[in-house]
Amino acid sequence: MSQTPSQSGSSKGALRHEWVLLMVVALEWLYFNSVGPRFGTLENSFDILRHSVEIGLLALVMTPIIISGGIDLSLGSLLGLCAVVFGKLWRDGGFSPAAAATCTLALGAVAGGLNASLITWLRLPPLIVTLGTYSLFRGLAEAITHGADTFTNFPDAFLALGQERFLGVPTQAHLFILVAGVMWLLLHRTTLGRTVRAIGFSPEGARHAGLPVGRRLASVYVLAGLIAALAAIIYTARLGQARADAGTGYELFAITAVVLGGTSIFGGIGTLHGTLLGIAAIAILNNGLVHARLPREAAGVLTGALLLLALSGTVIPQLWNARRARRRRHPAPASPSSPP
Amino acid sequence: MSRHFREISVVAALALVLIGLAFAAPGFFQPQPLLSLVTREAPTLVVASGMALVIICRQIDISVGSQFAVCGVLTGLLASLGWPVATLVPAAIAAGAVLGAVNGTLVAGLQLPSIVVTLATMVTWREALRWWRQGEFVDLPVKLQWLGLSQRTGQWLLVATALMVLVVLALGLRHLAAGRHCYAVGADAEAARLAGLRPRRVTFLAFVLVGALTGLATILNVLQSPQVDPKSGTGLELKTIAAVVVGGVSIAGGRGSLWGVFAGLLLLACVSPALTHLRVEAYWEKAIQGLIILLAVLADGVRMRKTGP
Amino acid sequence: MKNLLGLALSACLLATGCTKSPPASAGADHEGRITVALLPKSKGNAYFISCKAGAEKAAQALGIDLLFDGPTDTDPAKQNEIVENWITLGVDVIAAACDNREGISTALRKAQDRGIKVITYDADALPDARTFFVNQATPEGIAHALMDEAARLLNREGEFAIILATLTAANQQEWRHHIEARLAEKYPKMTLVAVRPCDDLKDKAQSEATALLSAHPNLRLLMNICSPAVPGAAEAVKQAGKVGQVKVIGLGLPNENRRYVKEGVTDSVILWKTEDLGYLTVEAAVALAKGTLKPGDRTFKSGALGEFEIRGDNILLGEPFVFNRENIDQFDF
Repeated sequence: MSQTPSQSGSSKGALRHEWVLLMVVALEWLYFNSVGPRFGTLENSFDILRHSVEIGLLALVMTPIIISGGIDLSLGSLLGLCAVVFGKLWRDGGFSPAAAATCTLALGAVAGGLNASLITWLRLPPLIVTLGTYSLFRGLAEAITHGADTFTNFPDAFLALGQERFLGVPTQAHLFILVAGVMWLLLHRTTLGRTVRAIGFSPEGARHAGLPVGRRLASVYVLAGLIAALAAIIYTARLGQARADAGTGYELFAITAVVLGGTSIFGGIGTLHGTLLGIAAIAILNNGLVHARLPREAAGVLTGALLLLALSGTVIPQLWNARRARRRRHPAPASPSSPP
Repeated sequence: MSRHFREISVVAALALVLIGLAFAAPGFFQPQPLLSLVTREAPTLVVASGMALVIICRQIDISVGSQFAVCGVLTGLLASLGWPVATLVPAAIAAGAVLGAVNGTLVAGLQLPSIVVTLATMVTWREALRWWRQGEFVDLPVKLQWLGLSQRTGQWLLVATALMVLVVLALGLRHLAAGRHCYAVGADAEAARLAGLRPRRVTFLAFVLVGALTGLATILNVLQSPQVDPKSGTGLELKTIAAVVVGGVSIAGGRGSLWGVFAGLLLLACVSPALTHLRVEAYWEKAIQGLIILLAVLADGVRMRKTGP
Repeated sequence: MKNLLGLALSACLLATGCTKSPPASAGADHEGRITVALLPKSKGNAYFISCKAGAEKAAQALGIDLLFDGPTDTDPAKQNEIVENWITLGVDVIAAACDNREGISTALRKAQDRGIKVITYDADALPDARTFFVNQATPEGIAHALMDEAARLLNREGEFAIILATLTAANQQEWRHHIEARLAEKYPKMTLVAVRPCDDLKDKAQSEATALLSAHPNLRLLMNICSPAVPGAAEAVKQAGKVGQVKVIGLGLPNENRRYVKEGVTDSVILWKTEDLGYLTVEAAVALAKGTLKPGDRTFKSGALGEFEIRGDNILLGEPFVFNRENIDQFDF
């Protein structure tokens, strides 16, 4: 990987973080496998996969956004809006599922474009823009359906996308792997990825360096909208229904997965495989607790604790090193410098 | 003009809405129902003041809703054990301050990003409370409501308390050294440190203060109803952040005033009752809330683009 | 490169995990004890806690294992995930209170395909996705009870408003639909002036009710079809000084409403005996697993509660109950 010096310095910490996280995932797996006899079965692994695809997709596209120093709170609401529009087009518009899906993807991209234009043209803070569209998208979903309309009875061929297997694994897993692969290449092997990182470190610096900051940022948000629409379609196929409350709260799960995966919320630092591990850690926890016969509330409490542990796990050694380095440079006059 | 552009524009928007309502739905302005609605928003105002403070320090606290629920249930349980009001108030404030100190320690002590820390504590407190209480309402002693005073006096008292908190904080932020430190730390923590301030201590205290204010807010909530809903405060973080942002506090820290937050909260809070009075179907409400937030920042964005930051 | 290695390692772990424990033989893993999994619509809800209390009593009496878990948030996909987890876990019976009929039926059918017995309680799934429905009252029955009670209190004329949990929740929609149908059919002089959501929060219900009372001066009754809204609306009516002038009715629990019913603010609260619902559900689930309850049976004999009629594939708990000032002290839940 070609990296600037400052990047390699920071990604060293990130690398360590991913190994720690991998161990967490492995420990979770071993623990739940020992307490739940059915936990380790192939069928259950597929369940975990199936249940985490939509949030996982959102987390994948949230990663470059957070690396760029931004955030997108509107993705869960956008998922709801897209699901409803998909259902509306199919049932009332007489579209085939494929045509409805195409239009829905376009809608997702347009909605992402709305976020993008407010954030890049008007240089408004992403947190506020997407807080507004968080309400707006969910509100539109409710307005379209009057809150009450539920779309259901989709054709079997479409439901197969969310409920059947293809080549031995859940159908939607193929899409997830494809998106994950493309996102990994984008983030780690292209100029887009490097630009996003540079913007995350210092947007002004990136601008002065002549990088097309606005255009690159915009593409990241449009991509997020597009993938949120894809997640909406998969969600609809998995549940066999679309309603205005689809995907409520998913943005927070996605952000949790990304941050757990070692991406810095301040931007500049983060990897896609870290996010994948973050998704795995949360998904396995959620599923495993059922096998350990613990109540669902435990999942919330433990996710919170895990997040704090993972964060302080990477930060405490850094603080420690920084303090030691400072002490070595400026030994306190009163106390003798302590031997290691 | 330009310095207070946002405050003025929010107040103008609020005035416009109220004037519109005066023509379209004069029933909105009946004094007693209006007082009741304002009293319902008193706790939110106190929390929003705290939120503004944290955001001015360039941090954020999304765990306030969960803190509100935890403090509310704790206060309710103590009240049903027979604790007198004089001890309930400090107890609630202390409980809030402790929860705030947890956030403060993690953010200021370990230098962790506040949005993630408070995301984690939000989930943890909320789910732990559900695990513990299983969603059961807490019944309060009868004489606790309105402190045993008449309803009207009680309502005025609660509203006055909330306004007093707002005024004290607003003046303190402007004129006290500690208040100026918040702006300094929020604008540039490193510069503040070089100027001899202690940014981490300021940050820590800001989180403790927002916790304490949330605790106080639960008292204002507990006193106006005979039961505590353990789900209370759900969504409070988004409501208060939206009010703060619409009120013109910069999310990048160091800029904004509590007067703007006050106007922002009133603007957002009157949407729902206004729609009821205008007989608009409820399913438009979220979209309208979203539009207000977007328009508020849009105005700023367009202005900045024209004049430069 | 190292990162890829890490991913490969995790993949290996996944693979070994998979091969290590092949699917065990079907059935429960606690020495042949039957495991019943009880799914509420949401957790942290007093209504389902009360059902759970009854279910636990039944579980103890019958010597079975009871699992109780449900969503802690409003996302409609969560119930499906829990059911699918239980399928893998290999429980014997799943008893579900369905948050969304079509959505969850997908998962319940899958459970039936794997030989797990499925019954529903509180809110039904599609008929082909379960064997029996423990019917405490049909959505139609609940809606009619509410609408008829409202009409009785208002002498069949006047304005009323509905406060519900969220616009999107399936059961709320269904009740609202049936209430509106009953209104159109039987009570031409009554008008439904507004429907407001309260997000299942008591505090928000109080604010909504306050706004409704001032926006509609001729409002005569508030109908609350989610349990936190009943005390919330009652408090609003009390604070507006409109006790008696504006009636409050709704679906709720006696304990949460006791004080308002006694003060005469809330006129009547409609509900069934939730603990009995939980008890009967578990008993029926166990009977179904043991084969003592079969499709086509006309009655079901409960150990503790007596005999219940089965109409079609619905086990009938009995009519909904109306709690009012006279009888509310007989109930504690």
